[in-house]
Amino acid sequence: MTTADRPERPQYRVIGTRAKRTEGPGKVTGTTVYTADVQLPRMLHAKMVLSPHAHARIVRIEGASALAVPGVSRVVTAADLSEAIRDGSNPAVNPSNRGDALIAHTEVVFAGQPVAVVLGESLAAAEEGAAALLVEYEPLPAVLDIEAAMRADSPLARRPAGAVDRSEESAHVTIDVHAEESGSAPTNISSHVSFSRGDIATGFAESEVVYEHTWRSATLHQGYIEPQATVADFQPATGELVVWTTTQGQFHERDTIMKTLKWPETKLRVIGPELGGGFGGKMAQSSPLVSALAVIAKRPVKLVYSRKDDLLAGRPATGALVKIKTGMKRDGTLMALEASVAYDSGAYPGAPAATGALLMSSFYRWPHLKVDGYEVLTNHVSAGAIRAPGVHNVMQAVEQNIDEMARQAGLDAAEVRLRNAVRTGDPMSSGKEFPAIGLVETVERAQSHPLWQHRDEVRAASTSTKKRGVGLAIGGWLGGLQPAAAELFLNSDGTVNGVTGALDISGTNTSFAQIVAEEMNLPLEKVSITTGDTRTAPFAGMSAGSKTLFTMGKALRDAAIDLRQQMYEVAAERLEANPDDLEVDGGEVRVKGVPTKNISYERLAAITTGFGALYKPLVGRGTVTARVQAPGFTAQIAEVEVDTETGFVEVKNYASVQDVGFAINPMSVEGQLEGGSVQGMGIGLWEEYIYDDSGRLRNAGLLDYRMPTAADVPDIDSTLVEVPSEDGPYGARGVGEPSITAGGAALANAIADAIGARVPMMPATPERILRAMGKLGGSEAAGG
Amino acid sequence: MQALKYARAASVDDAIRLLRDGGEAARVLAGGTDLIVQARERRREVHLLVDIKRLAETMVLAYHAPTPPDAPPGFYIYPGLEVGAAVPLYRVYGDPDVQRHYRALVEASHVIGGTAIQGRATLGGNLANASPAADSIPAMMALGGVARVVGAGGTREIPVAEFCTGPGRSALQPTEFIVSLYFPPPASRSGSAWERFIPRNEMDIAVVNAAAYLAFEGDTVSEARLALGAVAPTPLALPDVAAALVGRPLDDAAIDRASAAASAAARPISDMRGTEAQRRRLVGVLVGRVLRKAAARARGEEVPA
Ligand SMILES: Cc1cc2nc3c(=O)[nH]c(=O)nc-3n(C[C@H](O)[C@H](O)[C@H](O)COP(=O)(O)OP(=O)(O)OC[C@H]3O[C@@H](n4cnc5c(N)ncnc54)[C@H](O)[C@@H]3O)c2cc1C
Repeated sequence: MTTADRPERPQYRVIGTRAKRTEGPGKVTGTTVYTADVQLPRMLHAKMVLSPHAHARIVRIEGASALAVPGVSRVVTAADLSEAIRDGSNPAVNPSNRGDALIAHTEVVFAGQPVAVVLGESLAAAEEGAAALLVEYEPLPAVLDIEAAMRADSPLARRPAGAVDRSEESAHVTIDVHAEESGSAPTNISSHVSFSRGDIATGFAESEVVYEHTWRSATLHQGYIEPQATVADFQPATGELVVWTTTQGQFHERDTIMKTLKWPETKLRVIGPELGGGFGGKMAQSSPLVSALAVIAKRPVKLVYSRKDDLLAGRPATGALVKIKTGMKRDGTLMALEASVAYDSGAYPGAPAATGALLMSSFYRWPHLKVDGYEVLTNHVSAGAIRAPGVHNVMQAVEQNIDEMARQAGLDAAEVRLRNAVRTGDPMSSGKEFPAIGLVETVERAQSHPLWQHRDEVRAASTSTKKRGVGLAIGGWLGGLQPAAAELFLNSDGTVNGVTGALDISGTNTSFAQIVAEEMNLPLEKVSITTGDTRTAPFAGMSAGSKTLFTMGKALRDAAIDLRQQMYEVAAERLEANPDDLEVDGGEVRVKGVPTKNISYERLAAITTGFGALYKPLVGRGTVTARVQAPGFTAQIAEVEVDTETGFVEVKNYASVQDVGFAINPMSVEGQLEGGSVQGMGIGLWEEYIYDDSGRLRNAGLLDYRMPTAADVPDIDSTLVEVPSEDGPYGARGVGEPSITAGGAALANAIADAIGARVPMMPATPERILRAMGKLGGSEAAGG
Repeated sequence: MQALKYARAASVDDAIRLLRDGGEAARVLAGGTDLIVQARERRREVHLLVDIKRLAETMVLAYHAPTPPDAPPGFYIYPGLEVGAAVPLYRVYGDPDVQRHYRALVEASHVIGGTAIQGRATLGGNLANASPAADSIPAMMALGGVARVVGAGGTREIPVAEFCTGPGRSALQPTEFIVSLYFPPPASRSGSAWERFIPRNEMDIAVVNAAAYLAFEGDTVSEARLALGAVAPTPLALPDVAAALVGRPLDDAAIDRASAAASAAARPISDMRGTEAQRRRLVGVLVGRVLRKAAARARGEEVPA
C-alpha cells in the first residue's frame, strides 16, 4: 500500500495504525459461532420447496406424500401463514414487496420462489419430505427480457399491487430524489426517474466526438460465502420470539419481523451472530419466514439455505440494459450525455433505478445531460442490494464511452477524466451540490501510477496470440447516512468496554476500539467493543451503505468524550482541580502540567461502582446523526493478457486507488479496496446468472456461477488517498462500496485496449470476446 | 440426503458379492467425490456403498520398464504402468515414473478439483463416472490405457477408448468393477500432453479438453493417438485423425490439418458452458497445442504443463 501525501493533521497514536482485527483469530481457527451453528432443544429443521416455473398458477399442493416421510412434522403453505400473524392477516396474499411474499400464494412469479416449507425432526427428513411434496402448477406466460418487458403491450410479470416498501433500498443510499411510482395503467415499469441539465441537442451539436452504444450486464449474486440462515425460538407461554439470523442489521431485521408478523418489539429479540459476508444481501431475507414457522410450529425452527437455495431464492443484484450516447470536444471537454438504464428488478421492486440514473450522470461535469432510470419487473428472481447497488452496471457504460471517445480523439483517457471530473461544490445531476470530495486527487494518483504510465510497454509485450492491454475506469458511491448510538463503560481494572448494535462485517469493532483508545489515551488492548443485540444494545442502522464507521465511529468518539468528561468531573472533585485543567494519559486522569496530581482509571472505577461508593457509575453515551454525505471515489487500473485463440483473459496486474478520507485502520481499508476489486473482476469476467428460455436459472451452484478463485486474482496494489470528509470521524469516508464500482469497466477497457474490440455484455466471457473479435459465428449460448 | 448403507469390501470376491446382493442401487465407492455429491443431490438412487479402497489390487501403483536388451535370458516382466482403481490422484501425479513417462496423465490428474479432491478422487472413479467432460479420460485414451475389470462373470480388459457408451454410461455389466488401469510403456522417443479450456484458472468443468501421444522415428511420426473431451456424448478418441499424422514429419501443415480434422470430427452441443461454434474452435486450438507440446517432449524438451 502507498498512502498519498496526507494533508496536515493532528498526530494520532492508535487511529491510523494497522491494528489486527479482534474477531480474526476466532474466524481463522474455526471457533466463531455463526447462525448455522446455533442448536436448540426440540428444534425443527425447515426445507423450502421452490417453484421450477418462472410464472405459474399453483393448482394444488398435496401434503400427504411429504407427511408420509418418517420425521416430517408439518408442511406449511402460504394459507397457513395467518396462524403466525398477530391480527390473523396474511402478508402473502397479493404482496407488494418481496418481503411480504414469504411463501407464494396461488401464483408463483419467479423460478425459485418458495411454495411450501417442510418441517422435519432432522434436516434429512425435511429434505426427503420436500422432495416428496406434490405441487401441481399451471404455467403462465413469463416475462423474461428487460426490453420486451418495457413495451406497453407486454404481458405483466405480476398482478399490480399496492404501495411499495423501499426501506431496504434507502438503507444503502441516501439520495434526495425519489422515483415516481408508475401511474395508472399497469405496466412492468414499476419506477422511473429522470434528470436533465442544459439542452441535449445543443450538447451534441457542439460535440466533435460522439460515441453511442448499448451495454448489458448480468444479474449477479452477492457472493457471500455463508448462506442465509435463521434460527427462531418461539416460547408459547410468554409469547417471546428470539431470532438468530444472518444479518447486516439487527434492528432492520427486528422491524421487518415486527411489521410482517405484527409482533410487539417488547416480545422480540433479534441476535445477529458473526457474519460470513453480506455485500447487501443479508437483509431480512429469511428471518420473517422462519419466525412465522416457529410461531406456527410452536417450536424452535432452523432454516439454513443450501447454496442452490441461495442462488435461486436469494435476492441477487440486478442485471441492466444501458443505452448511452456521449459527446466530447476534440480537446477532451465532455459536452453531452444522453442515456437510459433499465434494471431487471425481477418479480418485485428493489432495483436501484434512481441511484443508477443519478450516479451515471454525476461524476463528470456534463454541461448537457438527459438520463432516465427504470425499474422493470420480470419473472426473474427479484433483486436486492449489492455493494454499491446498480453502480457497476452504469459505470460499465459511462467509462467505456469515455475511454472510446478518448481513443478516437487521441487523448490520454486519464487526462479526459481529470479534466471533466466533478469537484467539491459541483452539482450532481439532481442539482444537489457535492460536499468535499477527492475525485480529482484520486484520478491524479491513478494517472501517475506506474501501471498507467507503462501502458505502451505493456501493449508492446503482446505476441501474435497473446495480446496485452491496460484499462482505467473510475467509480464512486455517495455514502449512506443514518443515526447511530453507542455506550461505553469504565471497568474495574481501568479498561473500557463498549456496546453498539452494529454488526462487524469488515473489522469495524476493531476500528471502533481504536477510536475509543485514541480518545481515552489507552493502548488498544485496553478497549473492547461488543456487538449487542436488539434487547441489549442501543439503536444501530445496518452495516451497509458504507456508513458503519462513518456514523457509528462518530457515536463512539462522542461516547468516549462523554465518558472522559464524566471522569474529569469525578477526578476534579478528588483532585480539587478544575475539570477543564485535566487530561488523560497512561490510564490516569491528571492535572495538566502537574503529573503527580493524578487519579488512576482503576481508582475512578472503584469510587463509581463500589459498595457505598460516593459517585455515580461512569457510562459514556454517544448518539449522533449524520447529515452530510461523504462520497468516496475510486480509480482502478487493470492490465490483462487476452489469448486471442481462446478468448481467455488473464488479469496480470491491478491497481486500486481510492479516496478514503482518513484511514482509521489502513489494513482494514486496504482489505476493502482489495475485496471490492476482486468482486469487480468477478463482475467483469465471470459472474452471471444464466437463465434458460423459460426463465430457470441454469447455474445454481458455485461450479458454474463463477466467482474468482485465488488463482485468478493477481496482487492488488492499493493506494489510499486521504481527502478529509466534512462530517466523518477524523475525516473518514465510507470505504466499502466505491471499490466494487470500477473493476468491470476497468477490465472492459483493458480488454478493448488489448484486442481492439468492445464486448457489449458484462461479464466479458471468452466466448463473448471471441465473438467481439469476429472469430465465432452463430449466436450466444442459450440464455447467455 | 437419502439414508445410505456402507460396506467395506474385504476382497475382490467380497466386492462382487456385495454388488450382486445389493442390486441396482449398490454402487462402488472409490473417492466418493462424484458419488456422494450425486447421492446428496438425488441425481442417483444409491442405497449401498461398496468401498473398494482397502484392497491390495485396487491400491497398486507400479511401473515396470520394458525388459532391458541386456537382461539375462528368461528374464521377463510385464512392462508398463499399473494404477489401482482406488489410488488417489495425488499419488498418481506425484509418482516419479508417472511424471517421467506419462505426462498427459500428470497434467490431467493435477487439475481435477483442488488439493482436497485430489487426496480422494481416483482415475477409476473418473472413468466409471463416464462424464463426457471427464478430464483424465482423454489422457488415458491417448496413453493407450486399458481398464482391468472383474465381475461375477470373471475378468476382462476394456480399452479406455471403448469404455464409455454414453453420458454416465459405460460398458460395465452389473457386478463388474474396475480393479486397475494399465498403460503400455511409451516408446523411447515419444511424448504426451493434455490441455483443457476453462474460463477460470481452476475449479471448472472442461469446455473442451484434449490429449495427444506422439512417438517418432527420426523426424517421422511413428505412432500417434489423440482424444478429446466435452465435445460428444462420450470422450472421443480420434484414431483416423491420429493415423493421418503417422509416416510424415509433424510440420505446421500437418498440425493444421489435424486441428481442422479434429474440429470437424467433434460433435459438440451448445450448453451454458459453451456453444457449438466455440467448442469447435477450441478443439482446433487445443489439438494444435497438445500436438506441439507432445512433440517437444518427444524431442526431450522440458515443457511445463
Ligand atoms: C469440487 C470438485 C471438483 C471436481 N473437479 C473435477 C475436474 O476438474 N475434472 C474432472 O474430471 N472431475 C472433477 N470432479 C469430479 C470427480 O472428482 C472425478 O470424476 C473423480 O475422478 C471421481 O473419482 P472418485 O474416486 O471420487 O469416484 P467416486 O465418486 O467414488 O465414483 C464415481 C462413480 O464411479 C463409480 N466407481 C468408482 N470407482 C469404481 C470402480 N473402480 N469400478 C467401477 N465403478 C467405480 C462409482 O460407483 C460412481 O458411480 C470434481 C468433483 C468435485 C467434488
